[in-house]
Amino acid sequence: MESLNLLTALAHVNVEQGFFYVLAAIAIPLAYGVVFDRNVIRSGFLLIGVFATIAGLFFLLQAQFLGLSQILIYGVGITLVIVIALMLTNARQETGMNPALPANVGLASFVSVLVFTTIYLSLRSAEDWPLKNESSLSLPPNIEMIGKHLMTYYALPFEFASILLLAALVGAVMLSKAEPASLANAGDEAEQAVDGTDRV
Amino acid sequence: MKDSKASCRPEEARDEADGGLNMISRASIHVVAYATAAVAITVLFLGGQLGQWIELAGLSVSRADQIGFLALVVMGLVSCSFGGSRLGVMITGTIAAFIVLTAHQELAMVRYLSLGAVLFAIGIYGMTVSRNAIRMLMSIELMINAANINFVAFAHWVDPLHIRGQLFAIFVLTVAAAEAVVGLAIVLALYRNMSTVNMEKFNLLKW
Repeated sequence: MESLNLLTALAHVNVEQGFFYVLAAIAIPLAYGVVFDRNVIRSGFLLIGVFATIAGLFFLLQAQFLGLSQILIYGVGITLVIVIALMLTNARQETGMNPALPANVGLASFVSVLVFTTIYLSLRSAEDWPLKNESSLSLPPNIEMIGKHLMTYYALPFEFASILLLAALVGAVMLSKAEPASLANAGDEAEQAVDGTDRV
Repeated sequence: MKDSKASCRPEEARDEADGGLNMISRASIHVVAYATAAVAITVLFLGGQLGQWIELAGLSVSRADQIGFLALVVMGLVSCSFGGSRLGVMITGTIAAFIVLTAHQELAMVRYLSLGAVLFAIGIYGMTVSRNAIRMLMSIELMINAANINFVAFAHWVDPLHIRGQLFAIFVLTVAAAEAVVGLAIVLALYRNMSTVNMEKFNLLKW
């Protein structure tokens, strides 16, 4: 009888909920791995997994465009930059060390538990969500709505975003460009003379 | 070669030398025991048995998730004090507690928002504690993604017609990409000057 009870309980769980919990059960251990893994490069690769599961959540929420751009920008772009930065900064040197600063552990765990409890309790007690039930069939395609908004009402933020990206691009090049002195040391003496006249 | 490695990480090396395989298997046995108990509690909770027992004990059924959560936390602390691996206990405990706390919420949106809260809390912990500057940036990316989950969840349930939440998520994505690139460039510049990415060594701005 009890096993029958369990079966009916499982039958009530719908597909969306099941997929959600599968994705959550993948995302949480991967996120822990990103924070706690002793090997920094491995945690960089685990980050790809976290981003992929979050893209899966976006697909569950019918945000197809955002899910795909999540894979493109986060899963490939940002993690690629992070892994390259890890390889440039000799992460192997600190492989065996404890990833955490022991002095901060107590305070940090207190703060993170406090943040989660605050958010969760406020979500739980909230009752007047302004929910709207629209059947997903009557809605216009996701990407069409996004494109319309970006070109009309949100055109100005869109332009600002492009300026921000340009500024970030220039800033990153400026910051990561080797300094003139180290360039001169690396080059030949003849090149050095040319470089020197050019730079001054 | 081995000696120099051992001096790099004195505590862990000593642990392995003392306990060896015995330590590892003991830690994993405790984790497996805890995981079994956590799965049992979760299944009992989902099947409704936990609620029935709590009703027998004279409390209201709506407290079943709180009592399940408390049981998970207490069992986790016990397992850790007996020498279970802390990371394993935390991972299994977080998943089980997450299922117990969110499965019977009447709104599906609360589940997504709670997952965002969990990932955000993990990101805060990583950002505060990390020794490596790049790991700190990774934790920040984790937090930004947790916020994005909330945006998309709100777009799905609160504003399904105009999906403005997804637009905000796109802008967040843009800012996050810019932040990651500039942050990593700063880390590379710091590494070039100080040949380390250890956060403890970056004390130039300390007064």
